[in-house]
Amino acid sequence: MAGKPRLGDLEELVLLAVLRLGADAYGARICRELVDHAGRSVSISTVYVTLMRLEEKGLARSWLGEPTGRRGGKAKRYFALRPEGEEALRSTRDVRERMWAGVPDGGGAHAG
Amino acid sequence: MPGSHPAEPPRLAAWLMRIRLPQELADAVSGDLEEEYRERVSPTRGRLAADLWFWGQALILRSFALHRASRRLRAMRPTWERSGPRRADDDSFDPWGVMPVRPEDVKYAVRRLTRAPGFTAVAVLSLALGIGANTAMFSLVNAVLLRELPVRAPAELVEIYTSETDGYPYATSSYPDFRDLREDAEVFAGVVGTRTFITRLDQGGEPTVVFGELISWDYFDVLGVPMALGRSFLEEEDRTPGAHAVVILGYRTWERDFGADPSVLGRTVRLDGRPYEVVGVAHEKFTGSMPVMVTSFFVPLMMTNELMGGITGSDQLARRQSRSMFLKGRLKPGITADQADDAMKAFAAGLAETYPESNEHRTMSVLASGDVALHPLVDRALVPVAGLLLTVVGIVLLIACANLASFLLARAEDRRKEIAVRLALGAGRAALVRQLLLETTLLALLGGAAGFLLASWTVGLLMSFQPPLPIPVSFDVSLDRTVLWFTAGVSVLAGIAFGLAPALQATNPDVAPTLKDEGTGGGRRRRLTLRNGLVVVQVAFSLVLLIGAGLFVRSLQKAQQIDPGFDTGPAAVLWPVPEMSGYETNEERYEFYRALEERLLAHPDIDAVAQADLLPLGAGVQTRSYVIPGSPSDAPDGHHDVDNASVRPGYFDAMGIPLLRGRDFTEADVDGEESAIVSRAFAERFYPGQEIVGRVIENRTGSPIRIVGLVGDVKVRTLGEEPRPYVYHMSGHGAVPGMQVVVRGRGTDRALLEAARGVLREVDPDVVVIDVKTMSEHLALMLFPPRMAALLLSVFGGLALTLAAVGIYGVVSYAVSKRTRELGIRMSLGASAADVVRMAVGGGMRLVMIGGVVGVLLSAAVTWAIAGFLYGIGTTDVVTFAAIPGLLSAVALFAAYLPARRASAVDPVRALRSQ
Repeated sequence: MAGKPRLGDLEELVLLAVLRLGADAYGARICRELVDHAGRSVSISTVYVTLMRLEEKGLARSWLGEPTGRRGGKAKRYFALRPEGEEALRSTRDVRERMWAGVPDGGGAHAG
Repeated sequence: MPGSHPAEPPRLAAWLMRIRLPQELADAVSGDLEEEYRERVSPTRGRLAADLWFWGQALILRSFALHRASRRLRAMRPTWERSGPRRADDDSFDPWGVMPVRPEDVKYAVRRLTRAPGFTAVAVLSLALGIGANTAMFSLVNAVLLRELPVRAPAELVEIYTSETDGYPYATSSYPDFRDLREDAEVFAGVVGTRTFITRLDQGGEPTVVFGELISWDYFDVLGVPMALGRSFLEEEDRTPGAHAVVILGYRTWERDFGADPSVLGRTVRLDGRPYEVVGVAHEKFTGSMPVMVTSFFVPLMMTNELMGGITGSDQLARRQSRSMFLKGRLKPGITADQADDAMKAFAAGLAETYPESNEHRTMSVLASGDVALHPLVDRALVPVAGLLLTVVGIVLLIACANLASFLLARAEDRRKEIAVRLALGAGRAALVRQLLLETTLLALLGGAAGFLLASWTVGLLMSFQPPLPIPVSFDVSLDRTVLWFTAGVSVLAGIAFGLAPALQATNPDVAPTLKDEGTGGGRRRRLTLRNGLVVVQVAFSLVLLIGAGLFVRSLQKAQQIDPGFDTGPAAVLWPVPEMSGYETNEERYEFYRALEERLLAHPDIDAVAQADLLPLGAGVQTRSYVIPGSPSDAPDGHHDVDNASVRPGYFDAMGIPLLRGRDFTEADVDGEESAIVSRAFAERFYPGQEIVGRVIENRTGSPIRIVGLVGDVKVRTLGEEPRPYVYHMSGHGAVPGMQVVVRGRGTDRALLEAARGVLREVDPDVVVIDVKTMSEHLALMLFPPRMAALLLSVFGGLALTLAAVGIYGVVSYAVSKRTRELGIRMSLGASAADVVRMAVGGGMRLVMIGGVVGVLLSAAVTWAIAGFLYGIGTTDVVTFAAIPGLLSAVALFAAYLPARRASAVDPVRALRSQ
C-alpha cells in the first residue's frame, strides 16, 4: 500500500468506535456506539465488512474471545487498532482541522 | 427478565444467516446479533419488534461482501486467527463447495499413484472396463436414439405420417398427397419427401447393391444442410418424371468410391443401368435422413419410376395408393407441432373427401422430429432395450467402483496414522478430503481415458456383429463429442463416488487412539463394516447380472430348439433380382424363375427347389386383406389382414412343410380362378372343426380365391410367436414378385450354395443378386437378437463376476493380514492349518451368502423387466436360479481361498512379534 491509507467516512467512524470502546470492542458494541454517538444506524454485517477492510489495510486487528453464555455460547471477535490505524485517524483529523481552520466563522452554516 | 428463559431469536432467520456467513465469522456475527436481539426484547414492547429487527438483519446480511473480505484476508494472512489449534486448512471456509485445485496437490496425487503402481494399474484397469463398457453402450444408444440430424434448427423439424385404414397412425405417404400438402400447408415453412431405395451400381467389375434416397428437390435447403461440393437439386429437376438423371453423392461414397476427387462433378454413375450426372456431394456430417443408415446416393423424386418401377411396375408418382414416402416438415416460426398436427388432420380430412377411393379412413399426424429416433413403432421397442443395456453397464461400473472404494478403504486403514499425524499437526479435514478425492478423480480420469480407447475398440468389434441383413448397411456409430462428454462425466462421477466414502472415513479417525497405536484392537472391526457392505452389494449386483445373462443364455438355447415348422437342415438361399436386371415384364420374370428352377433341378446334387417372395423368419412382414365368409372382422369393411406369401409349385416339399390335406400348386394355377393354400392355424381360426379344402374366400376387391390345400404351421415373423394364420398364393397369378430361392440336395450347405450360384450364373451371368446365404445364415437373423443379448449379458455378467471376485479376494486378504497375530496365537495354541483357512474363508463366504440371498431376491424382483425378450422360459427359471448362485459361490470360494491359504502358512513366532 503506497502512501498513507485514506479513510472512508464509515471507516473513520468505526475506527473511532473501536478506539472509544477499548478492550470491549466487538461487533454488537461497535454497532451500538455508532447509533448512540454518531447517529448512524448500520447493519452488523456492514460493520464487519468495514472492519475486515480495515484489517486488510493493516489498520486494525482482531482475535476471538472466549464463548459466553449470554450469546448462546458463541465467541466474540474483538477488534483493536494497530498503530497504523491510530496514525490514520490522527492524520484524518489533522486534515480536517487544517481545512476547518481556513473556514470563516458562519460559513459553516452552509457547509453542512 | 428475571426467572424467564433468555429469549431466542427466530430460528429460521438465525439458520438462514448462519449458512450464509463465512465460517470464521459465523460465531462472532451471529453471537453479536443474538446479544443485540436480547437487548431489544423489552418487557413493554414484547418480542415482535426484536423479531422483525432480527429478520431484517438476516435478510440484509451482506453475505457476498463478507465472504469476499474474509477470502482476501485469508490470502493476505493465512494466520487469520481462529479459536482452537491453528489449522492450515484455509479452503474449508469455502461454503459453496468450489475447491480450487492447486498444482502442488496434483503433483502430490500423481506421486502417490506412481508410488503404488500395482494398485494404480488394477484400479485403472477395473475402471477402464467399467467406463469402457458404459461408453461403448452409450455410443450405440447415442447413435441410434439420441443423435440429432445435423441440420439447421432441428427443433423446428417434424415428422408427418399418414395413417393406415386400420388406424395404425405412423405409416408412409404417397407422392400425390405430398404434392398437395406442399401446395396447401400453411403451418410449414417447407415440406420435404424422401423414400429409400436399393439399387444396382455399376462402376465396371461386379455390380454392387447400394442404398439411396429419392428426395424432393428442396430437401437439402429445407433441412439446412450445406453441400460439401457442387449444388443441391434445382426445382426443374424435380418437375418432370424421368427427365433429369442427376445424383448427389453421400460424403462417404464420395470418399470411398471416388477417392474424394473434387473433379467428380459432371461425371456419371450408373444406377440400375442408367447414367446419372453427379451434381453435388452432401455435407460430411449428413449421412441421410435415416438415423444409423448411411445414404450413398441422393436422387430427385422424379426418378422414382426409373429406380423403383421395375419392382412394382406402376407409376408411383401418380398413384395415391402407392405410399412409400417419409415426409418431414419445417414449422413456420411460432407454430407448434400440436398446431401442425391439427392442421394435418384437417388437411387429411379434405383429401379423404376429394379422393375417397384412396384416402378414406386415413388421417395424418405430426410428431416433433426430436421425439422420434427411428420410427415411433421401432422406438417403442428400442427404448427398453437401450434402457436395459445402460442399466447393465451401469451396474458393472458400480461394481467396479465398489471394488475401488473397498481398496481405498483398505489403503485408508493403512494411511490412518499418516492422516492422524497430519490432522494433529493442523491439517484441515476438508483439505485432506480434497487431496484424497483428487487422487481418486485422477485415477478415474485415467480409467476413463483407457475406457474410451477400450470403447472405440469394442464398438468396432460390435459393428462386426452386423445383423445378417441382405442390404450392406453402414452403421454410423462413431464416438462423437457427446460420447466424449459422457465418458468424462462418468469418470469424474465415478471418482467422487468411489472416493468420497473412503476419504471421509479416512479423515475421521479418533486421532488420539490411532497415534497411541491402539487401533489394532476392537475398534477396527466396526470400521470394516463399510467394506463388508461393499462386498455384499457387489455380490448381489453381479448375481443380478449373471442371472440375467443366464436367462438370456437359456432363452437362446430354447430359441434354437424351437421347431419353426420347416426343415432347417442344409440348404442354400439365393435372392436374385431380375427386376433390377432388365426383366421388365411379368412374363419375362416368370420365365426367368421357371428356367432357374428347371436348371437347378437338373443339377445332380440338387433335389428340390422352393421359391417364395418372402421366406418364413425372414424379418419381413407381408399381409393382405381377405374377406372370409362366415367370419367378419371388426374392420370397417369386415376384412381380415393375414400374413401371406407367393410361392411356386414344390415349395412345401422343398421347405419340409407337411401338406395335411388337399394338393400343392401346379403350373395350371397361374391361370383361371385364383387358388390358395392355407395354414393349419388359418383353418382353426376361421373354420374350426370344418373341412377347409374347397372353401372360397375373397380378395378385398371381391374376387374369389379357392382354397386347394392345407399345410402345417410355420413360425413366420418371430420364433416365439403362436401359430399364425397364413395364406400361400401361386406366384404368377397376377404379378410376379421378386422371389427368394431355397435349394436343397446332397452335401453341405456351402457346397449347395456354390452349386446354386453356378447354375444362376449359367441362367444369367448379369443378374443382380441381393443375397446368397445358407439356411443357417438365414435363421441367424432371427436368432440375432437373442444371441446378441446372451453374448452381451454374458460378457458383462462375467465382467461383474470377475470384479466381485477381486473384491472378495481383497477383503479376505486384508482381513487375513490384519489378523496375523490372532491367527498366530490360535496356531500356537493348537489350531490346525485347515482350521485357520476355514476361519478366514468363512468370514468372506458369510458376506457372499448375504450378498447371494440379496441378489437372488433382487433378481426375482427385477427380471420381469426382461420377460418380453425371453423365449420359452419364465423369468424365474429354476435352472438359472439354481445354477448361477452355485457358479458364483464356487468363484467366490476360490477368491476367498487364495488369500486364506496364506494365513495357514503363518509362522506363529513371527506372527506374535508382528504388530
